[in-house]
Amino acid sequence: MATSPALDVPAEPPLKRRKVSPEPPDITTQVADLAEQLDAQERKKYVKGAKLGSGQYADVFSAHLVSDPTKLVAIKKIKVGPEVKEFGISYDSLREIKFLQELDHPNIIKLHAVFSTKNQNLNLVLEHLPQGDLLKLIQDVGGVQYTSADIKSWMLMLLRATHFCHKNNILHRDIKPNNLLIAADGSIKLADFGLARSMADPFQPMTYNTITIWYRPPELFFQAQHYGGQVDVWSCGCVFAELVAREVMFRAWPETEINMVKMICEKVGTPTEENWPGVSKLRGYVTPTEFVPLRPRDQWLASFRTIGEQGVDLLVKMLTLDPRQRLSAEGVLRHEFWTSEPRPSRLKDLPRRGGGVETMGEDLTQRGAELPRQNGRADKVARKIDFGAMK
Amino acid sequence: MTQTLTEDDIYRTSTQFRLWSFSPESLAALRKQTHDLAITRARQYAVDADIRDGKKDVDCLRRDEELRLVQRYCEQIRTTSDHFKWPVHVKATAVQYLRRFYLSNSVHTYPPKEIYKTVLFLACKTEATHMTLSEYARRISTDPDVILAPEYKIMQALRFTLDVRQPYRGLKGVLMEMLNMANGMVGEVEGVDTKGARELQQDMLTLEHPGTQATTPWKAPGSRKIDGKTLVERINAAYSAARTLLDGPALLTDVHFLYTPSQILLAALHLADEPLASLYLMTKLPLKSDARPKILATIAACADIIGNFSTKQILSKAERADLETRLERCRDPSTKDLVKTHAAAKRGSESDEEVKVQKRKAAREKHQKEGDDLFGPNLGGGRG
Repeated sequence: MATSPALDVPAEPPLKRRKVSPEPPDITTQVADLAEQLDAQERKKYVKGAKLGSGQYADVFSAHLVSDPTKLVAIKKIKVGPEVKEFGISYDSLREIKFLQELDHPNIIKLHAVFSTKNQNLNLVLEHLPQGDLLKLIQDVGGVQYTSADIKSWMLMLLRATHFCHKNNILHRDIKPNNLLIAADGSIKLADFGLARSMADPFQPMTYNTITIWYRPPELFFQAQHYGGQVDVWSCGCVFAELVAREVMFRAWPETEINMVKMICEKVGTPTEENWPGVSKLRGYVTPTEFVPLRPRDQWLASFRTIGEQGVDLLVKMLTLDPRQRLSAEGVLRHEFWTSEPRPSRLKDLPRRGGGVETMGEDLTQRGAELPRQNGRADKVARKIDFGAMK
Repeated sequence: MTQTLTEDDIYRTSTQFRLWSFSPESLAALRKQTHDLAITRARQYAVDADIRDGKKDVDCLRRDEELRLVQRYCEQIRTTSDHFKWPVHVKATAVQYLRRFYLSNSVHTYPPKEIYKTVLFLACKTEATHMTLSEYARRISTDPDVILAPEYKIMQALRFTLDVRQPYRGLKGVLMEMLNMANGMVGEVEGVDTKGARELQQDMLTLEHPGTQATTPWKAPGSRKIDGKTLVERINAAYSAARTLLDGPALLTDVHFLYTPSQILLAALHLADEPLASLYLMTKLPLKSDARPKILATIAACADIIGNFSTKQILSKAERADLETRLERCRDPSTKDLVKTHAAAKRGSESDEEVKVQKRKAAREKHQKEGDDLFGPNLGGGRG
């Protein structure tokens, strides 16, 4: 039996409790309107617990249901940032709420409810995902071993989530390992819909300045304003490669767009009219000074042997330069890779030491398209040198 | 374990279906409940003691007057959005937000005059159209604070669901499909006997002309036989007539609460050019299908509502002014100054205990970081 939360509250000094003057009658509390009532009902369902993470954009708390303390949730409390003056409730929060409310899928983080507090803070009640994220798992090279069957299992869950978004006309636009959280049962869940949008009508332009730079497909560097689900498939391809190699596939340093394009050319090949008809007409296309031919299949195989020929074939088709030739999410799911040996690992056999519940706190407080916060020494030093150079 | 979801299944998971779809009776009941609650409140805040004691009736707006006032502001949203040349999605979403807002709120508590600008700004944000608050405020000559003040209240009334399913893209799909049929490019439709592409094209060419009630501007060319070119004209005309209905009457009536987007677009097409709509439906819905009579009846009922709408139902300027003068006398005083309430709520969050804890923590961290900077980070730390 949990002790009553009231017992933890120290008694207030009597002076403070005594009201000096009678408060004016508050009309709104007499008969609250229907929306207010529903909101309050939702708010009262949860008991807020420890803070799991705190960022510029949000705080995340652990919480549980009043009716059942074993039912855990995470509450993401959105902070009011400085942009509130120019925009009101931020685009990020509105997008996240809009899309997560519509999506119900085993591999997408569940938004149980939203409620507001009297200080007008938005609180998102999210699924509790206590096992951290894929990034932590990938980075823990010494501590976590996983097999190609595990990779297949994770990728399958990721692609199901992505396909489901696309089927609902939603582009995620920020797929990366630290947006893939691990549930208690080992399954992974796509999170952070702060950059998502509905697929635009034909001819309606969309921004090309989206998706975390390391996971951004070449067409967006070339400033394409009309695109579809294939942008997410490229990001999934990057995650696939990262799971195998245990390092970021396209990690340009410093992370500028020009360096990213250079890196994609080096690792995949230079985009040309031949391998990508129409590419030179894209607004941001730069005529390459040096030309790298498409990376031959045996080189791909050499680097990604562990996922087998089928796996490499799929990876190449996900990391195809021309988005028209790149597989769609459905195309990926129809690939033979999934039905060839080995079978994807069962949930219960998957490693799940992705950093624990604090990692969820950290991930959920992050803003879209931010590179993961790093605590490595090399990185800190690099930044310090950077600052020195700026002065 | 595999599960295949149909489009209908997916629609049924939407918040529009789960929270914002009603039968005419349940919709009316909900509005009555909201209205009655407002009247109860009006008794409480009335200045006149006789009203508070129940000796005298409150002079509030009737339910139908509330509805027409909201409708008038739906119209206002349409013209404002068109003035900004925003995509139709913004307009339709904003109108629907306003209508949803007034399912749980009365105009007595929040007069639509003070809500509609915020609703339009919110829709502009959720439909990925970018305009800064300052520019929006400037162009509609309103104080930015006035626009922001009710934003949370609106989010709450929308029950934090922001997605509005719309019929526009579907209608465009129907247009493209019909044009393909006219070009003899559509053969069989799965599970339906259309006798092949050629026959379907022939059926279209010899189709009965639209009736006198039809809203399409297309007229059959006198004696000449209908050829491919005139058929394409007919289809395009039907599309734009249906589109006009979706833009106006469909947004100013309750159809979005009562029907699905596809039912609404088929109803609009039905009103635009009935024989064409029927032929199109034929290719989707086999004559022997059990669901056919029910679906047709639903579309017809929806078409009735859209067809019976007339612009005369919209309040005139004078009527609106009249209602608003009356409203001013019986409105809820506690929500009169939203800007002030909003600012107070924000101030409240600053004096929060939590903020104090945070400040202490930040100071501690800063202290720690200074030490860190001096000696460099922990050597055993992470990876680069």
